Amino acid sequence: MNIKIRIMIGLALLLPLTIAAQNPQAQPRSAHVSARAAAYETIKEVIVVGTVVTCSENSTSRPNGVHAIVQTPTGKIDVHLGPSSYLRANHFSLASGDSVRFVGAMSSLKTGGVLLARIAQKGGQALAIRSPQGFLLAGGASRTLPEAQRAQSVQNGSAR
Amino acid sequence: MSTAVKRLRIHLALISLSFLAIACGGGGSTPPTPPPSGKFSNASLSGQYAFSMTGTEQCAGEGSIFTRAGTFTADGNGNITTGLEDVNVCPGTATLQFTGGKYSISGDGRGELQLTNSTGTTNYNIALSSNSAGMIIQTDPAATASGSLQRQNSSAFTNAAISGGYVFDFNGLDVDGSNVNPASYIGRFNADGAGGIVDGLYDSNIGGALSGQQLFPGGAFYSLDTNGNGTSYGRGTAIIAGRACAFYVVDSTRLKFLSTDFPSALAGDAYAQQNIAFTSASVNGSYAFLIGGSSSSGPITTGGRFTADGSGNILNVVLDKNDSGNVTLLPAGTVTGSYTVDDNQLGGGTVTWTDSTVGTFSFIFYLISPTKAVFQEVDSNIVSDGTYSAQTTTPIAAASMAGDYTLGWSGIASAEEDYVGQLTLTSSGAAAGLVDFNVFANGQQWLSVPLSGTLTLDGDGTQANTFVATLQSNSSPLHFTAYVVDQNTVLLVGTDNDIVIAGPLARQP
Repeated sequence: MNIKIRIMIGLALLLPLTIAAQNPQAQPRSAHVSARAAAYETIKEVIVVGTVVTCSENSTSRPNGVHAIVQTPTGKIDVHLGPSSYLRANHFSLASGDSVRFVGAMSSLKTGGVLLARIAQKGGQALAIRSPQGFLLAGGASRTLPEAQRAQSVQNGSAR
Repeated sequence: MSTAVKRLRIHLALISLSFLAIACGGGGSTPPTPPPSGKFSNASLSGQYAFSMTGTEQCAGEGSIFTRAGTFTADGNGNITTGLEDVNVCPGTATLQFTGGKYSISGDGRGELQLTNSTGTTNYNIALSSNSAGMIIQTDPAATASGSLQRQNSSAFTNAAISGGYVFDFNGLDVDGSNVNPASYIGRFNADGAGGIVDGLYDSNIGGALSGQQLFPGGAFYSLDTNGNGTSYGRGTAIIAGRACAFYVVDSTRLKFLSTDFPSALAGDAYAQQNIAFTSASVNGSYAFLIGGSSSSGPITTGGRFTADGSGNILNVVLDKNDSGNVTLLPAGTVTGSYTVDDNQLGGGTVTWTDSTVGTFSFIFYLISPTKAVFQEVDSNIVSDGTYSAQTTTPIAAASMAGDYTLGWSGIASAEEDYVGQLTLTSSGAAAGLVDFNVFANGQQWLSVPLSGTLTLDGDGTQANTFVATLQSNSSPLHFTAYVVDQNTVLLVGTDNDIVIAGPLARQP
């Protein structure tokens, strides 16, 4: 193979890389985002007011976590409150007969509808359960606390 | 030496009695297990290893995400001689020097590791898949975590060694004021060998808000530390996709990152990207994937496989999704799908498939090579990422899967649980081994727990197989769907309603 052909082949091989290097523009993504049945749809947020019928830390209902059955004027609603440890850490508990108010979004599951609570309120105590985007705050919210409160925490004795 | 011992170290100051009230498992009654024999010993862990992990720690009375990445040097004789780590923990971020430590490795590759720094000693269990790599979990009562470790190549501890394209996947938590959300960043960049970064692209998913593909903001860089930590430990700092990070060099093909922008906490790896122009033809064949993260319901993991035809079409999709106990299997109806690879040929792309019964699943990927990519789900209210890998074209039979494997699983029941272990698969698919795990909900660590189980292959083994694992400590077995990548790697996704758990099996030599 003569040198000219080899150079041409070499240039041809380099061409895609050259194009890539010269074209680092961000690729437009499709605006399509699918929402399956269990998604938290912010635009469908509702306020639910009622009385706690039962509250279970070990419910077999899904999603996993604390579930309260709440009697409302229009019927009973299953309310999901996330991990029990988060409620306990924030000194929030529910018992039968408690008057409650929830802000959340209904989610359809194979096993039926459930209200994914974003804010839970009992008496004068209100607790944020989910972010405005609908994700559970358990597992991260404590990192936003003042340093003095966080400094009391340790992993293993004083070890990090 | 290794007997089935439940290592119960409850720090009452940290763990409320209510945790104990709902504690499951009794433990302490498992019979002694013979010491495992095999190919590994303390000499197997020798040299300098980089590690990274993400987990849950006690923070102001509740479980909270944390990350750590670093390096330690093992002397091959049970001692940790030096090391360094970066932590992003409840009190903040810190770079800490290891002043000592010790370890022991059993014949089956499992081991215990203690690392001591100025704040004290932290405990870990590891499972070596070889002398140069393994899985690691933290096993302290108030902190559990899972991750990986790899032997470092110190000749790559220079800016010049970090050169060319890299694909990354970071995940964790994004905190913006009081707004706290799960986050995933995947993308790619070119390192110029002198600390500069060009052609940086990323897609972020923060609490379900998708960035779309973005150029890196100004200020991107990477730099090995100049205070000695760079040359001694392979530590450096960087700004990747606008996030401030520390990193540790494994070698010139792999970097382990941890974000230092507390109170946010992200971690993940970057992999050298094959230097080719990627097109639709770069995605051609069968792939197995495993991703995990959060949905609006809680923890979520999805595993599966698909076939790409090299021309934009997705075929033969099979998956298992466990969304906080809601398990969905595909195909449920008729599945059609497609994919695109970015016109800029830098390896980004999209995958979408629709099941006529369940709905649509959408993903972004960045190709490391035609056989591997980082993979991010972009459906509403889901933040989940991981990798996909080309499946072997060789039919899989139980006999060909026989051998020794490490396992590394991470799950969430009422709180995080992390598992490492080792098992042997027979040619009939029977599994037996030992597992070490940490249950954050009740602060219990379980060591050398016997595992028995069965891997049952379906058809040619490239579809949805099943793996059932019974731990002697648990009353009910763990059920997984097993997606075989090849004879060395199996991806497991849990299908039980009461725990969201996933992780791989990785063959030992």
